[in-house]
Amino acid sequence: MTAFQAIFEHPAVLLMLLIGSVLLYLGIRKKYEPLLLIPIAFGIILANLPGGQMGVVPGESIELGHEHYMNLFEIAHKFGIMNFLYYALIKTGLLPPLIFMGVGALTDFGPMLRNLRLAFFGAAAQIGIFTVFLAAISLGFTPREAGSLGIIGGADGPTAIYTTIKLAPHLLGPIAIAAYSYMSLVPVIIPMVVRGLVSKNELKINMKEQDKLFPPKHKIKNLKLVKILFPISMIIVIAILVPTATPLLGMLFFGNLVKEIGSTVGRLTDAATTTIMNSATIFLGLTVGATMTAKVFLEPKTLGIIVGGFLAFAISIAGGIVAVKLYNVFSKKKINPLVGATGLSAVPMASRVANEIALKHDSGNHILQYCMASNISGVIGSAVAAGVLMTFLA
Amino acid sequence: MSGEYALAFKLLGVGMITVFLILFLVVVFGNVIIRLVNKYFPEAEKVLPSNTGEGISRKKLAAITAAVNIATKGKGKITNIEKL
Repeated sequence: MTAFQAIFEHPAVLLMLLIGSVLLYLGIRKKYEPLLLIPIAFGIILANLPGGQMGVVPGESIELGHEHYMNLFEIAHKFGIMNFLYYALIKTGLLPPLIFMGVGALTDFGPMLRNLRLAFFGAAAQIGIFTVFLAAISLGFTPREAGSLGIIGGADGPTAIYTTIKLAPHLLGPIAIAAYSYMSLVPVIIPMVVRGLVSKNELKINMKEQDKLFPPKHKIKNLKLVKILFPISMIIVIAILVPTATPLLGMLFFGNLVKEIGSTVGRLTDAATTTIMNSATIFLGLTVGATMTAKVFLEPKTLGIIVGGFLAFAISIAGGIVAVKLYNVFSKKKINPLVGATGLSAVPMASRVANEIALKHDSGNHILQYCMASNISGVIGSAVAAGVLMTFLA
Repeated sequence: MSGEYALAFKLLGVGMITVFLILFLVVVFGNVIIRLVNKYFPEAEKVLPSNTGEGISRKKLAAITAAVNIATKGKGKITNIEKL
């Protein structure tokens, strides 16, 4: 039997196929976060092809009553392989921490350790998460949905997905799309917010000159050892204070630790950054895309998520900038507000964009290392914010 | 609804305080680790000659050192470099 009749009965699937195709175009041609957007877009197309059994079914469909659920074999048998993958890898919350392990193995905490003060701006930039949470509740979202919407402001894809799986799995598709779309639009959003909030004089603040005028108190005499001790001590502290952030940050710090140990465990670093991370990305993208069936996606809430996600992003960037401006009022050593603009997670794109803006105003003002400090602390900050949301709402 | 607003304001306060607290601890612990390592495990500063006698530049020396470190998993030590 062909699927023509089903398409005539549910023409909305054609719109979803169009959306999938547009996202594929953006990923392939425009290179907007292609590693994730292409699998997500293809997942959307697969999920909306009638009769293919590739769309993810809601949790109620696999419930047997009294909090008992079908096992994975039954899910695969009744709903197909995409549901098997979704309930085994996504619903369990497995893939985002695995991706975080790879992110950790690719992250260098060195710039942050050399400029520890700048970590505070990674905290200030989380304000967008909680402000949009508040705004979303006033727009009629439930607290759990609002939490998932707000976390887009953290500008961290795996964190947004992990939080949504725990709080509002029915919104996973639109939230993942919004999070990754805005991350790819960082080169547009940061300059836009900066233009509105930062003066030309402030953009010319030269961080290296400030370092010469006010040199750091301590020079690190054994960076390798500091980098090894840092992830071990930090995960213990954070896990005690915000246990719900442990799956994400635990894997991030583990990945970072194996990277810093060096060639002794080089194979583990390779596995974390290539095989595991790439496999996780493929399955994450396809299954998240497969949650976006016409019935789930074509709802007014999706529009709210698109608008709310943008606001969360912009407010987070503004929060970091305002924090730097406040700091500059009270401190002799001035900081370029662009460093605050990178307090959201999107590493390293946010830092690269901020550095380019600084260079446009002063060709000798290289601020990349300073931006990376707040940028990396933003990864920790957004995971902690997600932990807080999950503690109160899950 | 007012209960939800109360929760939202509470989360705004608690969330931001927690994020600042954690990143404050990142700064504090980072500084403590740096001070302890500087005091008890400082690494001797490596003074590389600007140019060795055989005409090997600093950059080449750094590349050779890195290659040896990777190949010997950090156990190897360069004692002499000869140009063949």
